[in-house]
Amino acid sequence: MSPRRVRAVAQRIAQQFRHDRRSLGLLIVAPILVLSLVGALWGSNTSQRTKVIVATDGRLPAQVIDALRRVDTLDITTDTPEGAMRQLRDAKADAVVSGRVGVVRTEIVITLEGSDALRSGSVLGAIQKGIISAAGGALGGAGAAPPLQIEYLHGGPDYTLLDHLAPLLVSLFAFFFTFLLSAVSFLRERTSGTLERLMATPLLRGELVLGYLAGFSFFALIQAVVIIGFTVLVLRVKYTGNIGTIFLIEALLVIVSVSLGLFISAFARNELQAVQFIPIVLLPQVFLSGLLVPVDQLPEVLRPFSAVLPLTYANEALRSVMIRGFPLDDPLIVRDLLVLAVFGVLTVAGAIASIRREVA
Amino acid sequence: MWEHPPVTGGTPALDARDVAKRFGRVEALRGLTLTVRSGEIYGLLGPNGSGKTTFIRCVAGLVRPDAGTLSVLGEAPRAAISRGRIGYMTQTAALYPELSVDENLRFFGALVGLRDADRHIEEALRTIDLLDRRRSIVGTLSGGMRQRLSLAAALLHDPRLLLLDEPTVGVDPALRREFWQHFRSLTERGVTILVSSHVMDEAARCDRLGLIREGRVLAEGSATELVARAGTPDLESAFLALSAPAAQGGGAAAASERLRT
Repeated sequence: MSPRRVRAVAQRIAQQFRHDRRSLGLLIVAPILVLSLVGALWGSNTSQRTKVIVATDGRLPAQVIDALRRVDTLDITTDTPEGAMRQLRDAKADAVVSGRVGVVRTEIVITLEGSDALRSGSVLGAIQKGIISAAGGALGGAGAAPPLQIEYLHGGPDYTLLDHLAPLLVSLFAFFFTFLLSAVSFLRERTSGTLERLMATPLLRGELVLGYLAGFSFFALIQAVVIIGFTVLVLRVKYTGNIGTIFLIEALLVIVSVSLGLFISAFARNELQAVQFIPIVLLPQVFLSGLLVPVDQLPEVLRPFSAVLPLTYANEALRSVMIRGFPLDDPLIVRDLLVLAVFGVLTVAGAIASIRREVA
Repeated sequence: MWEHPPVTGGTPALDARDVAKRFGRVEALRGLTLTVRSGEIYGLLGPNGSGKTTFIRCVAGLVRPDAGTLSVLGEAPRAAISRGRIGYMTQTAALYPELSVDENLRFFGALVGLRDADRHIEEALRTIDLLDRRRSIVGTLSGGMRQRLSLAAALLHDPRLLLLDEPTVGVDPALRREFWQHFRSLTERGVTILVSSHVMDEAARCDRLGLIREGRVLAEGSATELVARAGTPDLESAFLALSAPAAQGGGAAAASERLRT
């Protein structure tokens, strides 16, 4: 064992870092970026307001409505029972509170939107808080809270956390693996000289990118079949929507991730640098696309970032199909698909622009 | 394969006039002018960093010159490329190591719109003597075999002009001789070859040479003419004498170090 040789190796590594400023930068920048996200996400007490609609059917005791209005995290509006349910279905509200005349006494029915388990919990908690405070006050005197009936528009009490997360995991895996594979394989094309050779043939840059998209999409869809098949058949995840729509969303997402991979490969000189882009590209999407915190419960400052991430829309669309059971022509799905298509056009254009003929 | 109608004089295969190219602070080409006649082997001879590769990449449509004109087979480089009239063999054997010999050739054939691919590929493999390795994965081939395959990929579509950027780097002397026999037989079929090299014994095999230094052609002519003009015993000393003005003795010594036979 020679300390001198150990020192030589250590010194060489330090020298390599000195010449590879990008790696050094990422080593410092990536954790700061991730920590800033975590800090903004969980470090502040967000006073997220929950949108609750009180159905104006005249069956709900006035004290309950007043008590609910006093809960500061609740945003109470009123609508007819039908109007309230329509708003809930269109994802414009989190819950509807209504009254139902039972055999003995009037029940309070809380209908939760239910497509997001994390959100259902916090919404229900806030509403219960209001009702209990009403009960403690004027309502029934000695704590006789009216019976609560909790119903779900989508999902339900038998939905596990996995059922709720499955759509998000499907999109995350599809995005991650195709992004990584396309970035590394296109980087190889750039560094091994084959790209130079291809560019000296009649092949156009657009043709090259489209070829990559077609090739990778094929395998990404096979992967999607496996992921969805496994989650549905083996993990017994509940899903209600059309499987064809799920694949369509996946295909659009894959187009975005493959072309983003091609684009990113222009900024890396070797595989190591390409791998370093993973935290930059992927972690914000994990934090901000609804996987850990529902998008509309994100702190105000992070919401604009969430809005420019493709995974946000893929997650929303997949959740709409798999849990809410929305059809392909539902306005929410159409909107998400259109946004994903716009991302697709932008990233494909970026990928084409990144293949410059003048590489020297 | 590689059958072309006989070349009828007139239009040169390549005509470069005052071609200039700058990469940031580096002036790679400073008004390079040369003409390559149809059916000849033209050698670009010069030390590393003299602009040989940049010039070849200009001709291959990969680099757009900042100034000057460049006519390849009578048209703009990119036009000639898109009509499949140029074959380009890069310095490293740019192939797909995960694919087989056959798959590599099929891919490059498809890009240039090769018709009757089976026949062309079989002939190409017979020519480079790799017919029995057509199912082999390229990553398992020796360096020399890969270089041969790279040449075959550049020739698959019967190009009129073949660009070879230091084609014999890392190739053993026997294979190098074989390569040059190929090149010569190609010109007999009407193909024009522009080859870059800094190896003197290769330069001697070219019909004409352009001595390049610092992005300019310093002298042009056949090996014999250049030796005669310089009044030196061999090509290497001719190159040094022609490329180094009296004031730049140090430059010649440096060039001498970079030029190996």
